[in-house]
Amino acid sequence: MRRLVDNDYLTMVVRLAVGVTFIYASYYKILDPAGFAKSIWYYHLLPGGLINITAVILPWVELICGLGLIFGVLYRGAAVLTTTMTVIFTVALVSALARGIDIDCGCFKVARSSSETVLDSLLFDIVLLILLWQLLVSRSRRWMLSRW
Amino acid sequence: MLLRQFVIIILVAAVAGVGLNLVSPNRIDFIGKYRSLSSGDGPIVPPTAEPGDPPFISIEVAELEHSNYQVVFIDARDAGEFVCGTIPGSVNIPFEYLPEGDLRPYIDSVLGGLPGDYHFIIFCSGEECDLSLHLGRTMQELGYTNLSIFFGGWREWVQFGLDVERRESCDG
Repeated sequence: MRRLVDNDYLTMVVRLAVGVTFIYASYYKILDPAGFAKSIWYYHLLPGGLINITAVILPWVELICGLGLIFGVLYRGAAVLTTTMTVIFTVALVSALARGIDIDCGCFKVARSSSETVLDSLLFDIVLLILLWQLLVSRSRRWMLSRW
Repeated sequence: MLLRQFVIIILVAAVAGVGLNLVSPNRIDFIGKYRSLSSGDGPIVPPTAEPGDPPFISIEVAELEHSNYQVVFIDARDAGEFVCGTIPGSVNIPFEYLPEGDLRPYIDSVLGGLPGDYHFIIFCSGEECDLSLHLGRTMQELGYTNLSIFFGGWREWVQFGLDVERRESCDG
C-alpha cells in the first residue's frame, strides 16, 4: 500500500487531475466575480461584507494551488490549502442540504439553475478528497520544479 | 515552512484578485451589500440586479398586492413545480421553456390579453432562483411597463405561512 501511495506516476497523475480541476474551477469565477459572489451568497454562511472580497480572491487561491500542484511549486502549501478548501466546500454543501437550500453549488461555474445537484457535487467532493489524501501522504517528489 | 507557503499563496492571490478587479470590466465592489436570509424586513434584491430592472418588492408588499385584484402573479418556475404549489391565482410562464420566436403573443395569451401596463408580479423559487429576474427583463423588452419582482418567491411565501394553491399532490 505504501509503495502504491508513493508511486511517482500515480502521484503525478493525481497532481495533474486535482490541479486541472482547481484551475478549471477558478476559470469561470475569475471571469465572472459577480456571479460567483451570488453563488457564495446562496449558501448564507458568510457575512454580507465578506462575500465580494471572497469572490475576488478565492478563485485566485484555487488557480495558484492548481498550478502549484501541477508544477510542484509551493507544493505542500497548495496540497493542504486545496484539501482545506474542499473540506470547507463539502461542509457548506452539507449545511445547504440540511437547511433545504436547493442550490447549484457554483463549483465549476457560477450558479444559474440547479442543473448540478448538491448530491452530485457532494459525490465529486468525496472523490476529490480521496485524491487529495493521496497527495498529502505520498512521499513522491519527482517532476517538481521546486523542493518546497 | 507550511505557514510561509500559505502566506505566499494567499498574498499572491490577493494581489492578483484585487489587481484584476480594479481594472476588469467585470469588476465588483469589494464590499457588497447583501441582506441575510428572508426576514421580511424589506425586499430581497439579488446581487445581479441592474439599474433599470423592474422594482423588487418585499413579502409584505407581495402579500398586500395579492389581496388587490388589480394585479396578476406570474410564476416563472417550470410547470411541474407550479402544479405542486404556487401563490394562489398565479399564472405559469416557465422561463426555461419559453417557445421559440415572437414571445409577445404567447405571453399575451397566457395573461388572457391583459394590457401591457397591467401590474404583474413575477416570482420563482426564492433567493437561489434567477428565473423571475430573467423573465422580468424579457417582459420589459417586450413592452410590459408595470412589472415587479418578488425575489423572495415561493420559499418566502411559504415561510410566512401564507395561503398556497396546490393543483396536484406531489411528493416532498
